[in-house]
Amino acid sequence: MNPLLPFLMAGDPSLEALPAQLSEARSLGIEALELGLPHSDPIADGPVLQAAAHRAIGRGATPVRVLQTLAGLTDSPDLILFTYLNPLLQIGAERLKTLLAPTPVKALLVVDLPFGEEPAFEADLRTAGYPMVPLLAPTTTLSRARQVLAERPDPGPAAPFAQRFAYVVARLGVTGAGQDTDLAPVSERVSHLRNISSRPLAVGFGLADAASLAAVRTMGATPVIGSALVRELAGGESLSGCLIPLMDGDL
Amino acid sequence: MADAFTLPTRFGAESLGGCYAPETLMQPLLDLEAAFRSALADPAFQAELKAELRHFVGRPTPLTVAPRLAAELGFKALYLKREDLTHTGAHKINNALAQALLARRMGKTEIIAETGAGQHGVATAAACARLGLACTVYMGVTDMARQAPNVARMRLFGTKVVPVEAGQGTLKEAVNEALRGWAGRCDQAHYILGSALGPHPFPTLVRTFQTVIGEEARAQALEQAGALPEAVIACAGGGSNGLGLLVPFLGDGLRRLAVEAGGHGRALGEHAARLDGGRMGVLHGCKTLLLQDEHGHTAETASISAGLDYPALGPELAALAMDGLVEVRRASDEEALAGARLLCEREGILPALESSHALAALPALAAEGVATVLLGLSGRGDKDLSTYQSRLEI
Repeated sequence: MNPLLPFLMAGDPSLEALPAQLSEARSLGIEALELGLPHSDPIADGPVLQAAAHRAIGRGATPVRVLQTLAGLTDSPDLILFTYLNPLLQIGAERLKTLLAPTPVKALLVVDLPFGEEPAFEADLRTAGYPMVPLLAPTTTLSRARQVLAERPDPGPAAPFAQRFAYVVARLGVTGAGQDTDLAPVSERVSHLRNISSRPLAVGFGLADAASLAAVRTMGATPVIGSALVRELAGGESLSGCLIPLMDGDL
Repeated sequence: MADAFTLPTRFGAESLGGCYAPETLMQPLLDLEAAFRSALADPAFQAELKAELRHFVGRPTPLTVAPRLAAELGFKALYLKREDLTHTGAHKINNALAQALLARRMGKTEIIAETGAGQHGVATAAACARLGLACTVYMGVTDMARQAPNVARMRLFGTKVVPVEAGQGTLKEAVNEALRGWAGRCDQAHYILGSALGPHPFPTLVRTFQTVIGEEARAQALEQAGALPEAVIACAGGGSNGLGLLVPFLGDGLRRLAVEAGGHGRALGEHAARLDGGRMGVLHGCKTLLLQDEHGHTAETASISAGLDYPALGPELAALAMDGLVEVRRASDEEALAGARLLCEREGILPALESSHALAALPALAAEGVATVLLGLSGRGDKDLSTYQSRLEI
C-alpha cells in the first residue's frame, strides 16, 4: 500500500525549486504526489492553500509555465495535477495533451468538475492517458459513489496508483487543518466503499499530524498531507524534514 | 435522496450554466433541486409565499409613470417598476424570502449568504429574522466600507456578517467564502445565493423567484397604459434583476435590454462589462461569459456600484444575450451618476447606483427613436448616499 500522498503547490516557493522538490520526494520513496495548479478562485481550498496559490500566481506560476517546468522531468513521483476546471478549459484539450505529454503527470484531479459536465473533454483526456480522479465526499451516498466510480473507472491493477485511486474526502468543508477531523465516520465510509470497489483509496482533508496519518493507514488507505505540509514548507522547513517523520506514522 | 437533476441545467445554444461544483456539494444541490420542484408543485407553499410577498415585502410594487423625466429625455412615456419600494429596498427580497421559506421546508436551521452591495444580505437577514433562522452573510471588506449602512442593518437583524479580506474584497470573494462555508455546513445549512448564477439549480431557482417583477410589470403596463412598451430595460450584475424583469417579456415583440457596469475604462480590470469583455469560462459552478486573463484566472473588475461588479454574467442572461433575445449595453460610472441625479431632480426618487446604470442607458434609447420604455428600478439609493454626496458634490 502506498503510505503517503503529499500535496505541493506548484510555484510555491518558486517554479525554479519545483524539479528539485520532486526529485527529493522521489528519493524519499514517494510514489505519487498531488501537484496544485495555482488558481485565482480556489473555492474548495482553505486559507493555507489559497494563500499559497496567490503567492505562486504573484511569482508568475501560470498554468502553462507550470506544465513547461515539468516537461522532461523523469526524477519525479507520478504526478496528479490538482486543479480547477477553468484554466484547463482555456488551454483547451488539444494543447493540454501536448503540454502534458513530456511531463510526469499521470492523472487529473479537477475539483469543480463532476462527472457528466464536460464528457467530451474528460473522455478525450482519459483516452490520452490522463484520467480524472474520482472524489467521494461525506455527502456522497453509496449509490452515488457507485455512479462516480463507474463514470471514472479503475484502469486495472497494471496501472499506477495515481491513475487508480479514489479520493475519499474525510470531512465536510474545504482543504486544510484547523479543526480535528473525527476519523471514526471516515473509517466506516472506507469499509463501505471497500464493499463496492477494490481500487486503492486515499483519504484527505484535515489530516495534519502523524497520528491521524497512521489512523488512515490502519484503514488500509493512503493518507493525503496537504495544507499542513504547505504551511511548514512556507515556514522554511525542508521537504525531507517535513515528510520523513510522516512516512511511517511514528514520530 | 435525488440521484439526478430533472430540470434543464443548461441555457441557450452555447449550453451555458451547468453544475461545476465540488463533490461535497453535489448531493446538497441534487436535494435542493428536488425540494424546489416539490415546493413549486405544492399549493400550500405557493400560498404562503404569495402571502409573505404581499404582507411582508409589500407586493405588488407600483408601476410609476415618470412624465417629467420622460419629457426631459424625449420619450412619449416612461414607466418605472418600483422594486425600490419593497421591504428592505431592493428586488433581492423576492428571492431571499422565497429561498428562506424553501430552506425551512427542507428542515434547515441555518442560512448562509453572500452579498455585494448588501441588498441581498439585508434581504436575507430580514427573511431569516422573520422565519427564525440563524443567518451568516459573507461580505468583502471593500463592500463593507462602501455600503456601511447595510452592514449595520444586517447586524440589527441578528445576522453574523463575516468580512472577507481576500482579493479585491468584493462580491466574487464573498461568493468564494460562502461556497466554502456552505461546504462545511451543508448538512444543516442552506445557501441562499442572491444572483442568477452559481451551480444548477441556483440560476433557475433565483430566476423563478424573481420573475414576479416582470409578471407584475407586464400586467400593470397593460392595465395602466393599455399596451406594452416598446422597450423594457434593467441593470445586470449577476442577472437576478435583469432576468426577473425581462423573462416575462420574452414572448412579446419588443426590445429587451440589460445594462452592465462600464466602470471607468475599457481595459480589463476597469469595468464589469462581460458581454464585450468576457470569454467563455467557468466560475462559481457555472459556465458563462467571464472576465478573465489569458491563464483562466478571474480578472479584477471595477464599478462604482457594488452590486454590478461581478466578473461573470449569469448563465441564462448570457445565453439570452448570445442568442439575440436580450440586448446588452454598458454604462460608465459617470453616466450612472448623471442618471441618478436626473431621476432625483425630475421625479423625486433616489435610485440605487445599480438601477442608475439602467437610467444611464435611456438617452441612447430615446435617440434611437424608442417612444415608450419600462425601466426596472431595482433598488433605492439610501445605501449609496455617501457615494452620491462625494461624487455629485452635494
